[in-house]
Amino acid sequence: MIRRRPVLSLLTLVTLVFLLFPILVVVGVALSRGDVLRFPPDGVSLRWFGEALSYRPFTDSLGTSAVVAVSATVIALAVGVPATYALHRRSPRGRRFLLTVFLSPLIVPELVLGFALFQLFLVRAGFDALTALIIGHSVLLLPYAVRVTGASLERADPALEAAAAGLGAGPLRTFFGVTLPVIAPGVLSATILSLLTSFNNVPMSLLLTSRTVQTLPVAMLEYVQTSFTPMIAAVSTLLLLLTVAVAVLAERLVGFQQVFGRSAP
Amino acid sequence: MARSRLATAALLLPALALVLVGFAYPYLTMLVAPAADPHPDVVGKLLAAVTDPYVVDIVARTVRVAGLATVLSVAFGFPVAWLISRAPGRWRGVLLLAVTFPLLLSTVVRSFAWIVLLGRDGLVSEALLAVGLTDTPTQLLYTEFAMVVGLTQLFLPLLVLTAYSSLAGVDPTLEDAARGMGAGGAAVFARVVLPLALPGTAVGAILVFAGCMTAYTTPSLLGGTRNRTLATLLYQEANTSLDWSAVSALAIIMTLLVLVVTTVMSRISAIGSRA
Repeated sequence: MIRRRPVLSLLTLVTLVFLLFPILVVVGVALSRGDVLRFPPDGVSLRWFGEALSYRPFTDSLGTSAVVAVSATVIALAVGVPATYALHRRSPRGRRFLLTVFLSPLIVPELVLGFALFQLFLVRAGFDALTALIIGHSVLLLPYAVRVTGASLERADPALEAAAAGLGAGPLRTFFGVTLPVIAPGVLSATILSLLTSFNNVPMSLLLTSRTVQTLPVAMLEYVQTSFTPMIAAVSTLLLLLTVAVAVLAERLVGFQQVFGRSAP
Repeated sequence: MARSRLATAALLLPALALVLVGFAYPYLTMLVAPAADPHPDVVGKLLAAVTDPYVVDIVARTVRVAGLATVLSVAFGFPVAWLISRAPGRWRGVLLLAVTFPLLLSTVVRSFAWIVLLGRDGLVSEALLAVGLTDTPTQLLYTEFAMVVGLTQLFLPLLVLTAYSSLAGVDPTLEDAARGMGAGGAAVFARVVLPLALPGTAVGAILVFAGCMTAYTTPSLLGGTRNRTLATLLYQEANTSLDWSAVSALAIIMTLLVLVVTTVMSRISAIGSRA
């Protein structure tokens, strides 16, 4: 292939280097011994990993990020899966309109939605930042839940459910006994995608902070804007390892492309 | 029958409530009259914003940077997607993985890498010195160039994925047929592949453009305070000023830009694909 299409192969190589080399740079910087951001690093040490893991703003915000990601994913799936099921199997009136409504949070800029929630929930209503974050992230994840489980409901054969109902199973039993196992890979894909999307989110979380509550990416962003030390590279490398673990898990459970191939908004 | 309709409603209502409470109500009231503002005057602030040269300048920069990043994403992403779609099976999986993986990584991490690469002592500056293109270290950070580079790296995978899925739908035997009838590589690409894969790629390009226009992390890290975009301006205003109506005015500009771009461009690409 390389011999048949030399120009195209070179272009692909350049693109891949452009996409992946910066990630390598981050790992390199994380291993520096000195205090400055340099690549290649000056000497090798693990000191910045230690500093990052004992830096309170990062460890605290990691907890917040985890709580928000898990809560928002659970909420988005808990309301999204039944709604998607109703859209696909009970063909309610205004089906297309309802689908548009559920996907609509994807259309608007996240930062603007973050501001809308900030001024209403935090400034006006006096909610705490964690509640606002969880509501905001749930809304953000709902479209993913609806689309990914919708795709697997479309592939599933409704005749299976009809058969279960014909054999005397009630609607609940049919759903939990037949439908849910069939769409389980879809729900799992949506879960992984949702956790990662929430965990990495910046624009929505940016304004939804308080003195004690902040998500990890926002804490990192704040840190990079004020200090130039390899510590941020160490955190980034830890996140990279976590992402690799998630990707491997996704590949094992349902297939990497199944989960992320359609991750485009 | 009535019970079944009730059950359907019960399945749909929680999701509708979430969209209403967490999106529709806050968003719409914010656009018209932000609840936090005791004397909301969004229309007045909007008129002030669109006639303010500072804001107009920032809108122009936002569109310019997003446009350049989109053009670069298409220029590199489309050929790569084509190569991947025509690669043998095992290569295809590896290449798709390599292209998709960066998408899973935090935007903060990916933008941070360019701070290291594009700074005065960065690798790029040193390379320019070594090659002899410059005599003094070059500061590429905090420029529009840095923003374009960062955004392209961020969004190129998205274009590859969308272009790939439409290219995978193009029958390779069509290309063989064109080649068999004497068309060269470039002609096959321009006359057969491009027209068939254009609609899907256009959707990808629209997504990239909208994403670039609303991105916050990359412009704030790589553009610095001198190169504000709509997103960084909106955040700064929301965070420092207490003039909620003025922030709402910026929010309206940003929302309209994105909606107009996505709807108008998808119309155009739909018409283009029918022709």
